[in-house]
Amino acid sequence: MSEAKVFKPRFNPAKPAFGLLVFLLYLFLLAPLLIVFVVSFAANQYLSFPPEGFTLKWYGMLPQEGTFMEGMKVSLIVAVIVTLIVLALGVPAALALDRFEFKAKAAVQSFFLSPLLIPSIVLALGMVLLFGPLKLTNTYAGIVIGHVAITIPFVIRTTLMSLATTDTSCEAAARILGAGSWTVFRRVTLPIIQPGVIAGGVIAFIVSFDEAVISLFVAESGLPTLPVQVLRYVENSADAAVAALSVILILISLAVVVVVERVMGLRKALR
Amino acid sequence: MTESKLSIVDLTKRYAAGLEPAVDRLNMEVEEGHLVALLGPSGCGKTTTLRMVAGLMDPTAGSIVVDGKEITHTPVNKRGMGMVFQSYALFPHMNVEQNVAFGLEMRQVPKAQQKARVAAALDMVQLGHLGKRQTKELSGGQQQRIALARALVVEPTLLLLDEPLSNLDAKLRETMRTEIRSIQQRTRATTLFVTHDQDEALDMADRIAVMNGGLIEQFGSPTEVYERPRTHFVANFIGQANFLDARVGAETGRANLAGESYYRVEVEGLGQFGAVGSAGLAGTTHELVIRPHRLGVSLAPGPGPAPLAGTIERVSYTGDALAVAVRVGEKLLQAQMPTISGDLPRVGDAAYLSWAPEDAYLLPAPGAVAERLAA
Amino acid sequence: MTLLEAPAAPERPRAKNEGQLERATERRNRRTYLALLLPGLLGLLVSFVFPLAYMVRMSFNQGSPDGVIVETFTLDTYIQPLTDPYYWKVTLDTFQMGVTVGVLCVLVSYPVALFLARSTSKYRGLLIAIAIAPLLTSAVVRTYGWMVILGTNGLVNSSLTGLGLIDTPLKLTNNMAGVTIGLVEIFMPYAILAMISGFGRLSPQLEEAAGSLGASKFKVFTRVTLPLCLPGLLTAFLLVFVLSISTFITPRLLGGGSVQVLATEIYDQTTGLLNWPFAAALSVILLVLFGLIIAVYQRLTRKIGG
Ligand SMILES: Nc1ncnc2c1ncn2[C@@H]1O[C@H](COP(=O)(O)OP(=O)(O)O)[C@@H](O)[C@H]1O
Ligand SMILES: [Mg+2]
Repeated sequence: MSEAKVFKPRFNPAKPAFGLLVFLLYLFLLAPLLIVFVVSFAANQYLSFPPEGFTLKWYGMLPQEGTFMEGMKVSLIVAVIVTLIVLALGVPAALALDRFEFKAKAAVQSFFLSPLLIPSIVLALGMVLLFGPLKLTNTYAGIVIGHVAITIPFVIRTTLMSLATTDTSCEAAARILGAGSWTVFRRVTLPIIQPGVIAGGVIAFIVSFDEAVISLFVAESGLPTLPVQVLRYVENSADAAVAALSVILILISLAVVVVVERVMGLRKALR
Repeated sequence: MTESKLSIVDLTKRYAAGLEPAVDRLNMEVEEGHLVALLGPSGCGKTTTLRMVAGLMDPTAGSIVVDGKEITHTPVNKRGMGMVFQSYALFPHMNVEQNVAFGLEMRQVPKAQQKARVAAALDMVQLGHLGKRQTKELSGGQQQRIALARALVVEPTLLLLDEPLSNLDAKLRETMRTEIRSIQQRTRATTLFVTHDQDEALDMADRIAVMNGGLIEQFGSPTEVYERPRTHFVANFIGQANFLDARVGAETGRANLAGESYYRVEVEGLGQFGAVGSAGLAGTTHELVIRPHRLGVSLAPGPGPAPLAGTIERVSYTGDALAVAVRVGEKLLQAQMPTISGDLPRVGDAAYLSWAPEDAYLLPAPGAVAERLAA
Repeated sequence: MTLLEAPAAPERPRAKNEGQLERATERRNRRTYLALLLPGLLGLLVSFVFPLAYMVRMSFNQGSPDGVIVETFTLDTYIQPLTDPYYWKVTLDTFQMGVTVGVLCVLVSYPVALFLARSTSKYRGLLIAIAIAPLLTSAVVRTYGWMVILGTNGLVNSSLTGLGLIDTPLKLTNNMAGVTIGLVEIFMPYAILAMISGFGRLSPQLEEAAGSLGASKFKVFTRVTLPLCLPGLLTAFLLVFVLSISTFITPRLLGGGSVQVLATEIYDQTTGLLNWPFAAALSVILLVLFGLIIAVYQRLTRKIGG
């Protein structure tokens, strides 16, 4: 086909250069995560380069590190409770915001999303000030309450996103067929918005699980979460034991990313 | 007259104070087993009416009576109706059988019986073999039928259909038209059918309610609304029509058993003709309606009674028909003639129009909306 | 069935109970949505509004070196940071860091965002996900990663000494340079996300159209591509700026105590000096700065958008 050749673009040196640039920037973006991977398998006794051989000993050390295991337990308990509470608070609120009309709607919606606008150090200080006299510092309750504020916006946002894209006539059809409000919610609405609810839930889980600042202020001395333990550890020494732990944290995040990407798309869920 | 299945009394819906009502004191009686089409242009209040009957929306005023019992205050899930939505509204997370069984489940029908009734309903729409399928795997027409089966399996007091065919392509729409009509006739489900398509309404309905601006302009059988439109709007919306302002002269005789009379009428610029209309119109001014295909066109002056001589201004050939626009004096009249092999008439040719008095109908009323505007 | 039924007579009086049913449903609906909103509102009240309100009140109290809080109403806590040159310097450093990180982050994110916005590859979705996935990883872990890369025995220094390019290791941690590098990377996903959302109107067709009208590659970029990207770039810059001036973990770890910004200062005032009212006042100042910046930003975007 001689005609097709006419339209074939000439070799453009800018294109591979741009591609290379983008590749390098991706590398920069992922560098800290990749390096942690490498270090966690390196046999060097102290942190240094290049890696001298492959080992799993850092991973083997983790179960014996009492502080890490304790922190892991605290973080898991907190994150699970926070997720359940935030879903219970956020999903109904999103439902009210999408399926009903009322005057203050825009204001209420902004209010629910506003904790993301407040620096977490400021929130954390407010919490420790308030929780101190209430004897909530260094308790599960304190950390959980602290994390509710910063995770609720995610659940509200993803649930709203799902609600906005569903056809309300399914709910109307169910009502006509004889279902009451609760049945409609349980049998129709909830299954339809399930992707948004799941995405919101796992994001809330990981945000709470990885949260360091509020936990640091509210419960550093008595009930340190895993990120707080890591923070303390890293402040004193940057050896490779914490790299192995970091890899595990990264893998948990990766699982969350995969779930969110599958159910509703990461970009949609996080914007 | 038998007791109505559904009576709608002065039904009114105003979406917000200060707005024109979307439905304005609408009255309608529907007989048991009838399929009634709510027909009208977009925005005339059809969906609003249907949703009020379904209970999805509160009327501002008025009442809805089914089987002699007022249900205006009955919540939607206690009304026992069936509805098919324009978007079908199948539950995306359930398979076909689960969709159809939903209403039976809500009625706590025993499992075994549910199964039998779901199977029967699916057989009725000829989709018995698709029970285990997920709904999104189905074509539009199939989803449509599932929605119909889901609505009918509960043996609803009323079957409500909101533009059920408008998402289908033209061919399928005709098939589904016949199918819905035959299922409706078999089940004898009293049905309200919303559409903006006059062909659909004429083809399927026992009665047509022609709506305009929140009001019913005319309620009657398909032949009534077509042959005897009550208003300009109805005549214009259903089929094509030529309108001529006529001074009604003397009555010249009884036309039929319905009490209609023949009149001599005079149309300015055209002359005097025979026409038909309801009794007692003599001495008034009314609009005359003549359907294009009832206008006789000939290319040579024939022997008939005083044909109108004019010039062809436009010719449109569609294979099975030939539409011509004929200028007679000031007026441009639309007419239809059968296609002929051989020479087609051309623009500029002379044409001679004539009609039988039975085919020139005097509209009895100016129209409900016009009346409201005048009031 | 008569042929001609009477039309709906417009003169008929309206029903007395007009709107009754609608009002009843509205009342029921109001109860429903209030019940749905209430738990969430209460949750935010307890975990968000009360702490902030309490903190604002606390900022007017009097602190003392032994951590005792004197309940009073004083502006001393505000006057002190506003008159002490040290806090002016901390505030200025914070701002400077925010601007530097914002600019650099926009610069390194722009090519990636541009690539993602224009890409028609079937891997586009995956590439977008990879670019924003680090958002969901722990800031502590990513900062630790940077410590490993930039530290005295880290990847960069080992490589450079190994290649014989330098003799003494570069100082890349425990200073502002390290903090800046770390923050730029940590906020890249936010910037990319903001940009690809903001580049909505950008389309290859537009660029091709400009090209077909005779514009050079450079002209196409400066006259078509860049102006269309501008709102997205601005949003990204402000987002990163705002995030940087309030971030704590990275300045703390990569700064190693020698980088003082508002966030680390707030922390030191509490844990080190136990001066709670003062820390509260600094937080309020940070919040006010935040409010101002967001207000200015909204003005700006409205101007650009309209
Ligand atoms: N939720 C609503 N709020 C305000 N006005 C509405 C609403 N729904 C419909 N309307 C108005 O009511 C009139 C009738 O609408 P509808 O019943 O949907 O018409 P149709 O189904 O005949 O096209 C229209 O003028 C429409 O704009
Ligand atoms: Mg409609």
